[in-house]
Amino acid sequence: MDVIEEQQWEPKILAFCCNWCAYSGADLAGLNRMKYPENIRILRVPCSARVNPQFILRAFQKGADGVLVAGCHPGDCHYATGNYYTRRRFQVMKRLLEYSGIDPRRFQAKWVSGAEADKFRATVTKLCEDVKAIGPSRKLGGSK
Amino acid sequence: MKRIGVFICHCGSNIAATVDCAKVAEAAQAFPGVSFSSDYKYMCSEPGQEFIKDSIKKYDLNAIVVASCTPRMHEHTFRKTLANGGLNPYMFEMTNLREQCSWVHSDIEKATAKAIDLVRMSVAKVAKNEELFSSTIPMHKKALVIGAGIAGMQAALDIADAGHKVVLVDREPTIGGKMPMLDKTFPTMDCSACISTPKMVEVAQHPNIELMAYSEVVEINGFIGNFDVTIKTKAKYVDHAKCTGCGLCETKCPKKVPNEYDLGMGLRSCIYKPFAQAVPNKPVIDAQNCRKLVEGKCGVCAKVCPTGAIKYDDTESFTTDTFGAIVMATGYDLFKWEDVYGEYGYGKYPDVVTGLHFERMVNASGPTGGKLKRPSDGTTPKTVVFIKCVGSRDSAKGKSYCSRACCMYTAKHAHQFLDKTPDGNAYVFYMDVRTPGKGYDEFYESTLRDGAVYLRGRVSKIYQEGGKLIIKGEDSLIGKQVEVTADMVVLATAMVPSAGSRQLAQTVGFLPDLNGWYQEAHPKLRPVETPTAGVFLAGACQGPKDIPDSVAQAGAAAAKVCGLLSKSQLETNPMTAKTNTAICSGCGTCIPVCPYKAIQLESITERDHHGHRITRNVASVNNGLCQGCGACTVICRPGAIDLQGFKNDQILEEVDSLWM
Amino acid sequence: MSDTTVKMRDIAKDLLDKGTVHYIIGWEKGRFSNQSPPAFITSAAHADRLIWDEYCLASTAKYLLDDKFPAGKIGIFARGCDARAINRLIQDGQINRENIYIVGICCSGMKDPATGNTADKCQHCTHPNPIVYDILIGDPVPETDKPERFKAIEELEKLSPDEKHAYWSKQFEKCIRCYACRNVCPACNCRECFVDQYRVGWQGKQNNLAENQLFGLTRAYHIADRCIECGECARACPMDLPLMELNRKLIKDINQLFGPYEASLDTETTPPLAKYHLKDLEEFM
Repeated sequence: MDVIEEQQWEPKILAFCCNWCAYSGADLAGLNRMKYPENIRILRVPCSARVNPQFILRAFQKGADGVLVAGCHPGDCHYATGNYYTRRRFQVMKRLLEYSGIDPRRFQAKWVSGAEADKFRATVTKLCEDVKAIGPSRKLGGSK
Repeated sequence: MKRIGVFICHCGSNIAATVDCAKVAEAAQAFPGVSFSSDYKYMCSEPGQEFIKDSIKKYDLNAIVVASCTPRMHEHTFRKTLANGGLNPYMFEMTNLREQCSWVHSDIEKATAKAIDLVRMSVAKVAKNEELFSSTIPMHKKALVIGAGIAGMQAALDIADAGHKVVLVDREPTIGGKMPMLDKTFPTMDCSACISTPKMVEVAQHPNIELMAYSEVVEINGFIGNFDVTIKTKAKYVDHAKCTGCGLCETKCPKKVPNEYDLGMGLRSCIYKPFAQAVPNKPVIDAQNCRKLVEGKCGVCAKVCPTGAIKYDDTESFTTDTFGAIVMATGYDLFKWEDVYGEYGYGKYPDVVTGLHFERMVNASGPTGGKLKRPSDGTTPKTVVFIKCVGSRDSAKGKSYCSRACCMYTAKHAHQFLDKTPDGNAYVFYMDVRTPGKGYDEFYESTLRDGAVYLRGRVSKIYQEGGKLIIKGEDSLIGKQVEVTADMVVLATAMVPSAGSRQLAQTVGFLPDLNGWYQEAHPKLRPVETPTAGVFLAGACQGPKDIPDSVAQAGAAAAKVCGLLSKSQLETNPMTAKTNTAICSGCGTCIPVCPYKAIQLESITERDHHGHRITRNVASVNNGLCQGCGACTVICRPGAIDLQGFKNDQILEEVDSLWM
Repeated sequence: MSDTTVKMRDIAKDLLDKGTVHYIIGWEKGRFSNQSPPAFITSAAHADRLIWDEYCLASTAKYLLDDKFPAGKIGIFARGCDARAINRLIQDGQINRENIYIVGICCSGMKDPATGNTADKCQHCTHPNPIVYDILIGDPVPETDKPERFKAIEELEKLSPDEKHAYWSKQFEKCIRCYACRNVCPACNCRECFVDQYRVGWQGKQNNLAENQLFGLTRAYHIADRCIECGECARACPMDLPLMELNRKLIKDINQLFGPYEASLDTETTPPLAKYHLKDLEEFM
């Protein structure tokens, strides 16, 4: 990547947000006119348990600079138990991603409730900053 | 072949001020599958919706994307627009350009670039949308209430008053639960039996309520609207149809055993009613102790019964019925403090009793005729010590939670004791005094004025010395150890879920929480529902609470049940999981992951690739129960079970579209 | 000829003669002395083909999937790893216990045909004695601790992200997407593998580094809590990819995160990723 491209590089970060908590929290951040970086793209799912680790791998394969999975706090899941599975799955997946050479700062899993607008803003802002510091993603298996 | 229409909303200036909507619409025109793309000031307005409907006709559109506010606001609105425009309402996706774009960014160029990406994601997703149709399941207009304490009775009455049929089941020979065992209720000091027995009678006489006492639920199959329930009625050995309740048998029965209703402090005969005002007011025979049933001797009750109602050859019977909704009202029991509190004597001191023992003693129809007497020698106690939080707020030996009613009933007990024994001494050892309800704190204050001495500290030991009990504790507010010589000690023991409640929850098909209390669907917003559709909670079974809260919750549960029963069928959410039987290998890994028990293995018969007929299992989803969380879709490795509305291919397209 | 070989042949003859099984799966000598590939013995007359030696590397269990609705019982010789594989297939609902007759063989380890040393797959074996069988032959092998089981993984974990990336890129560049690892793995028993689903498009068919890595990581994740560490995948790989270094990494993490766990020791225990505990380790606050 040449110098000009690098200077203009803006990370593109995919955020999977559960409809009932994280997506709602993101909406509340909007209602309160909080500001956060434009690099985030939110993908709505009914529950964080819908997020298949394969989607994360796919995102990194295609060139995602960062991925966030956000769901309800354990015990508060709209579907009672979904986020308990999310918790287990992504603890395993996070370690696997790190082991395969992806910088651990690129993948985050966080609990954000429907009332935690500021936590959403802070999480997204920090992730964008971290990813900017690391640099553009090396596509999964890519030569960059 | 998708022909997608894209509509970018300005939302006045809410979106248009930060996002160049015209530019987004222009970019969207080039996305794969898009036949028509435009922007407009207010998509949700009537002209906006007309615009969509007209465009559907004009450009022969079969899928729509509206980029505007959050779908949590207007998804429903636009689905109706599509339906009115002749399209299936699920051929629709919404892009959030307001709450998650224009309102949180300020750089127009970057916000517009982001908006284009977001619309690209929605277009990619809607290209894979399929028409979805909700199905219906029938609703049986009958409710089952399990547990006939104050909460169960109230729920049953409210549902019955609304015009629906109710079956009310209780495993004891009488209904009423714990409430008639109490003497007076705080903070108004009404006689507990005086307010609960009329409810018991009302329940028994209500034309819409079928009362099944001395019965238990043994099996439940099915789901909301269609619960097939098997109820076992235990052998009573008395034909209640013939019995008039005259009570002659009780007076003649020669064998007396400790009365469970009086917590063993009094005696009852083997043919008995638990208490005089029991409903049904007819006796049952205690098969463990009755001489006739155990040894074949006696038989006096049959000889004296004027109607010949005694039936020594009675057996348990089973009935089955179908219900639309179930209310759990199984109440509480008290923590077995004798098993762990060695410092209070492990139960070997007869004068160390629980609050419920106290209630039975001061109750005029109790074992001591309403007089407070020491169990050891029958004398009147002059000094009584009350200890709170025995088993509550004690994660080391008991439960971590607060049992909610004890501060009030201990104040009540202290008040009652001082009322009966004006020159008596009442000491209350406490950690806190929790009096949140109406009139509660005032009641506590008046108990202090009665002369109760509240000592802030725990009791480290109780032991017997001569005929007295020595209580060693602490007054932490002055930082000194205290020692009280008392005649009696009353322990406010923790409330725990009632015996057998865990197995019953398994039978019904839902989960208790970490402490065994029945788990509500959402701790704040859905306190009377369980995650299992059609099963509701009322009273202490959901968590320790007092009588006003139990009654309130029972009314809430009844309202939910009435809401269900007022429909003749239920429309199911179409965004449910669905199995592709060609791919499903029947491994069953998805089954335990479903919080609603919506998946079952079903047998299918097909021809294999050799042409042989084979029978194999595949996962099958009950659309009435599935709530569409998608947990099963991830545990399925090949993705044989997929979530309609959020399918794997839809989500993969959304992810891919960002990095085309 | 070892005792066990004699016993194998006798048992096979007996089972086939009596009609208890209508064929039995074991091993026979191949063309070369360092090969003992799987054998399917259909009558007592052929039972003398059976052999038990240090080159009986291939697992017999997965062949059961080719005959899910057998005409009669299928006999199968099963070492420790094969027995766990059979449990895996039973728990995944792919075969019925009633349809098979298991002759368990206690196994002290196989040799690598190329080097003559202990085979890679046998070096960290934790269950040399079969845990399910109808009849057992061979002397029970003492089960010892295998302290080196996760050594290779721990070494890799110490590398920097760039070094890890370089290592795995080098490995996955070799992959030719033959899917031998998937075909030989007992935990890979889906009717249609995710990789074959063009309609959904989980991943592409191109044989490049990105797709190879996607396949390898996804397969490892899919079998994570069900891998029995039989090592067949690494043995079958024609390009010598260190697949057990991926699978064991996941097993190590699962043990650390959710408590001690070994897959398929019975057919009832739910694998860790299909359940949860309210007090699970919390990292996402």
